[in-house]
Amino acid sequence: MATEAQAGVLAVPGQRRIDFGLGKVRRFARRQPLGTVSAFVIAGLVLMAVFADAPFMRTTDPKEFGSDILVGPSADHWFGTNRNGQDLYSRVVYGARPSLMVGIATVLISVVGGTVLGLLAGYLGRFVDTLISRLAEVLLSFPAILFGLVVATWLGPGLRSVIIAISIIFTPVIMRIIRGGVLVERQRMYVEAARVIGCSEARVMFRHILPNIGPLVIVVASTTLPAAILAESALTFLGVGLPLGEPSWGNDLGPQARAYFNTAWWLAVFPGLALSLTVLAFNLLGDALRDELDPRLRGSGLGER
Amino acid sequence: MRTYILRRLALFPVTLLGVSILSFALIRALPADAATIRLGASGSACEECIAVVKKELGLDKSKPEQYLIWLGNALRGDFGLSTATRREITPELRDRFFTTLQLGLVTIFFTLAIGVPIGALSAVRAHSVSDYTARFFSILGLSVPNFWLGTLVIYLPAYWWGWTPVKQWRGLTEDPVTHFALLVLPALVLAIGASAYVARIVRSSMIEALYADYVRTARAKGLKEQSVVWVHVFRNAVLTLLTVIGLQFGLILGGSIVIEQLFGIPGMGSMAAKAVADRDHQTIQATTVTIAASFLTVTLIVDVLYAWADPRLRV
Repeated sequence: MATEAQAGVLAVPGQRRIDFGLGKVRRFARRQPLGTVSAFVIAGLVLMAVFADAPFMRTTDPKEFGSDILVGPSADHWFGTNRNGQDLYSRVVYGARPSLMVGIATVLISVVGGTVLGLLAGYLGRFVDTLISRLAEVLLSFPAILFGLVVATWLGPGLRSVIIAISIIFTPVIMRIIRGGVLVERQRMYVEAARVIGCSEARVMFRHILPNIGPLVIVVASTTLPAAILAESALTFLGVGLPLGEPSWGNDLGPQARAYFNTAWWLAVFPGLALSLTVLAFNLLGDALRDELDPRLRGSGLGER
Repeated sequence: MRTYILRRLALFPVTLLGVSILSFALIRALPADAATIRLGASGSACEECIAVVKKELGLDKSKPEQYLIWLGNALRGDFGLSTATRREITPELRDRFFTTLQLGLVTIFFTLAIGVPIGALSAVRAHSVSDYTARFFSILGLSVPNFWLGTLVIYLPAYWWGWTPVKQWRGLTEDPVTHFALLVLPALVLAIGASAYVARIVRSSMIEALYADYVRTARAKGLKEQSVVWVHVFRNAVLTLLTVIGLQFGLILGGSIVIEQLFGIPGMGSMAAKAVADRDHQTIQATTVTIAASFLTVTLIVDVLYAWADPRLRV
């Protein structure tokens, strides 16, 4: 036990452990106004998705066919209606659900997977590194649509397939970034110290290196989320994502809807606007987090001092 | 450096082999095989018909055998016949590859033309109003999905003025002017996101260099600010830029599927998308491998150039 405590002391200089105290939150709000606004926008989006069917949202069933076909925005239909007479406002509100679910689930799966693989490849090196890195390179070079098709054919189209397909696409990307971080950390004194006192490889990786790349993991997660949301809408747009008819921003911009875009501008504008705003909010928040958590990456985005 | 380049060159065929094996396995594992797809249209096909077609397509052999035959043909540049149309895949794929290549080159041109000046301006006038404006627009450019931007570019002018940018496609030899005119808009749409990324990279690597000792020396010996910025500072960004441009180019070769679909460009992307929609397994296989191979080739060229150009790696 004493030896482990010593290793802990040695680990201190290299550590930037994340502290989610209230003071940190205040500091973040003061230094990153744009990031803070984005956090509120995201909170609003999450609430919108959760309470999509609550009466105060004034939505109707997004799949219900109506008699008002292709009417422009009005008091009854704020964003107009589509070719089936479905209320576009309701569809846009409900469309937040699959986007956020895919974003969050994909980030969970691919960040955990990518971090573990990145630690293994970066720390163990040699054969393990070659194997994992080559496999990542192979997966990275495939067009995303292939995974969308393969998973959707095996498991049937739906949220689950989209999440799996996008996780396959993003895991190698994250693995590469984490591997780069691990390669840097591996050179540090605390790793050598931990090894000298006899910590197992697993312990060095997960108890010593992992906490030190924590900020990097958070930054990577925050940039993956908007990318995953974009990927979902692109796959759905190409017809290998969510099933047709499901309220989703990618579907409402997809080939089925496109036939009516040159007569009904609202069909093209509102779902895309919702998608862009969501991705923008996540990107701005991610940038702010990066500035706060990882000073080495500073200067690459907005909201920095 | 030489060992690094040799290692990269040696690994290239290995990765490519991995790509072909994995894509073959994935596509062959899809439930409906090519024989069923071919006969599917005529309703319930008889056992013998399926057996005949299977033999004709070589599906009666074992999977590894099928793969080796496919690989042998592919290495000779023959991707076989399309499952859906029974036409030869290779000639069409070759034409479409060059179309996508042109789209990629025009896009890279716009990406650099927009991204580099904006990034450089942001770096030189860091924390000024123009810097903040440029950075806001660059993050906006990264957030707007290119297929939505493309949709707006196509449909809003059509709605307002009845004018549409999507015209009948013309080949390079047929009508070069129209050919390139048709590439401009999709390339600009693709370049918006990519140039936002380039601007950020140029800005951060130039800011890093602005405080370097060699820049202070350059200023101290009385060089004009112009030449300090372009000769000394910008050069620092060039290497990073090379990597980013290579990655973007590779992504366009494979990832412009949606934009090619939207603008009706007969490139590799729209070929892949159509093959996926038709469940045309042979064509999916051929486009996947070609797209992956192009991506890997670009990455290889960039890595080798980088190793060659960066004196720090020249040990």
